[in-house]
Amino acid sequence: MKTLTRRTFLHASALSTAAVLGGPSLAVHAATPPKARVVVVGGGYGGAIAAKYLRMSDPDIRVTLIEKDSAYVSCPLSNEVLGGERDLASLTFDYRGLTRRGIAVMQDTVIEIDPAQHVVKGAGGNRYNYDKLIVSPGVDYDWAAIEGMSEAVAERIPHAWKAGKQTQILRRQLEAMEDGGVFYIVAPPNPFRCPPGPYERAAQVAHYFSTHKSKSKIVILDAKDAFSKQGLFQAGWQEHYGDMIEWVSGAQGGIIEAIDPETRTLMGSFEEFRGDVINLIPHQKAGALAQTAGLANESGWCPVDQRTFESSIHKDIHVIGDACIAGAMPKSGYSANSQGKVCAAAVVAAINGDAPPAPSYVNTCYSIIAPEHGISVAGVYRLDDGRIVDIPGAGGVSPADADARTRALEQQFALDWFRNITSDMFT
Amino acid sequence: MPVSTWSRALCVCLLIGMFPSLPLHAEEVRSESMLANTCAGCHGTLGASAGEVMPTIGGMDKGYLVEVLTDYKTGRRPSTIMGRIMQGYGDREISAIASFYAAQPWVSTDRVAVADQLAEAPALHERYCESCHQDGGRSQDAESPRMAGQWAGYLQYAMQACRDGERCHPRKMRNRVAELSDAQIAALAHFYESQK
Repeated sequence: MKTLTRRTFLHASALSTAAVLGGPSLAVHAATPPKARVVVVGGGYGGAIAAKYLRMSDPDIRVTLIEKDSAYVSCPLSNEVLGGERDLASLTFDYRGLTRRGIAVMQDTVIEIDPAQHVVKGAGGNRYNYDKLIVSPGVDYDWAAIEGMSEAVAERIPHAWKAGKQTQILRRQLEAMEDGGVFYIVAPPNPFRCPPGPYERAAQVAHYFSTHKSKSKIVILDAKDAFSKQGLFQAGWQEHYGDMIEWVSGAQGGIIEAIDPETRTLMGSFEEFRGDVINLIPHQKAGALAQTAGLANESGWCPVDQRTFESSIHKDIHVIGDACIAGAMPKSGYSANSQGKVCAAAVVAAINGDAPPAPSYVNTCYSIIAPEHGISVAGVYRLDDGRIVDIPGAGGVSPADADARTRALEQQFALDWFRNITSDMFT
Repeated sequence: MPVSTWSRALCVCLLIGMFPSLPLHAEEVRSESMLANTCAGCHGTLGASAGEVMPTIGGMDKGYLVEVLTDYKTGRRPSTIMGRIMQGYGDREISAIASFYAAQPWVSTDRVAVADQLAEAPALHERYCESCHQDGGRSQDAESPRMAGQWAGYLQYAMQACRDGERCHPRKMRNRVAELSDAQIAALAHFYESQK
C-alpha cells in the first residue's frame, strides 16, 4: 500500500467498496483530476443529502461518502414498527442510488479527524484526504445522566431511538408483555432528536395495545413540562385511546434520576415506578465522532456558522443534522435534509470562490396518532444576524379542529413524506 | 482601514440616512434552487414525487405554479400544510420557486392502470375534461395543470376536493366535476396517471 499515492489508494478503496455493495463504480474514477475533494461522514438524513446535492450542483467535485453500515434504517416511521404496522425492511435503504450518481460510497468507521492535515482516518487504516469535510454524526447518549443506565443496560431496557436492532428489542418486549401490564416511556430533556417522537410512540403503542392487550397502560415520564404538538397529541390520545396514555410532566414527578434494571424500577424525584416494559430514551448530545473530533462545545452540541454550517471550532469542517446547533430549527430528519442542501450549496460556492449563498431552510414533521389521523408541524426559517430564526407568521401545527378528511389526508401525507424524503436521499 | 474604504462606508451611511425607509438589513436574495430545494423533501428531487397523494410539481407550467402557491398563501386554496408553509415567502420568492420547477423535466409515474380501473374513463375524459385538459391530459397552461403521468392518489383527491367545494382551480371546473361519482373520479385519476 505504501507504493500507492493517496489518490490511487482512494480510487482502489472506492472500487473494492463498490464491489462489496454490489453497485457500479462508474464515474468514481474520472480520468481528469477533481476540482476538489469533499468527504461526507454519515449517510443518514443529513449526510446522504449533502453528498447527493454536492454532486448535482457541481459534477467536477469528487464526493466520498463514508458510512459505517452497508444499509440505512430510517428512524422516522420506526414507531410504526413498534405499533406493528410495518416491518424494518420497509425502512431500510442501500447506497446504490448514490453510487450511481458518482459518489464514492465507502463502508468504514471513522476513528479520527485531523483538521490540520485535512485527513479523515478509517478504522481499517484507510485515510481520506479532503479539501472540505461535512460530518453528519447524529446523536449520542449521555448515559451518566441517569444512574444505573449504560449502553449494556440498553440491551435490556431499550431506547429504540436509533432504528434497527433496538427497535426490534422493544417490539419483542411489547409483544411478550401480559395484558394489563404497564409500559413506561422515559422522555428526555431538550434538546433531543425528533421532539414529537416519544409522544407519537405512545400513540402507536396504544394502537397496538388497544387491539391486542386493551387492559394495558402507557405512562410517559417526562423530564419536561411541555412538548411538541402537545395539544394535538393529548386530544388525539384521549379520542382514540381514552385513558390508556398518561403523561407525567417533570414538575409532577416525571424526572427520572436512576434505574434498577434488575427489577425494572425507575427512581423519580418523588416516587418509584415499576414497569413491565421500559423504554428509556436517554439524554442526548452530538454523535460520538463530533465529541472525539472536538467539534462539540460544553453544551455537548456543535456550534456552527448557521449560514454555511462550517464548524465554529475547526475550519473546513461542516457539521449538519441533529449534531449541530441550528438556531430555531428542531433536530429532525427534515431539518437535516434542509441543512444538507444549504451546506452543500455553501461548500460548492467556497470551492468555486463564490460568496456563501443566502440560505433558505424548512422543517416539516408528521406524526401518526391513529391509522386515519395524522398531524403535522412546519417551520420556515431564514438567517437573521447570523442566527437561523422562524419567519414570523409561517409554519405552525395542524389546526386543532381539523375535520376527519384533513386528518386522514395528513396521515397519507406522512407516508408520502417518508417516500419522498427517502427518495431524495437514496435515488 | 484605508481612507477610500472609510469614505465609501461614509457614503453608504449617508445614503441610508437619506432614504430612511430602507431597511437596515436588506433581505438577501435567495436563489431559485436554494428556495426550491427545500420543497424536495416532500415533493421529490427536482419535484418528481415518489407518490402517492403528494403531486409531482417538476415540469409544471410556471403560471399555474405561481397561482397555486399564491392561493395557498392567501388561503384562497385550502390546504393541510401548504398554507402554513407559503406564509414564509414573498411574491418574488414564489415566482422564483415556480420558475425553478417549471424548468425541470416532467417525470411521469411508472405505474400503468389495469383495465378494470379505467372503466368508462376515456369517454368521461372526452365529455368532461378534454376541452381544457387536451391530449389525454398532457397539455398544460396557467389554467390547466398537466395530469398525464401524475399520481392517481393526488388526482383523485384534487377532483374530490373540487367536487365537494373545498377548492377548485379554476372555479368553472366545479360544475363539471360535480356530476362525477367517486367511482368515476377514481377511474379518471387512473386514466390520467396511465397517460405518460
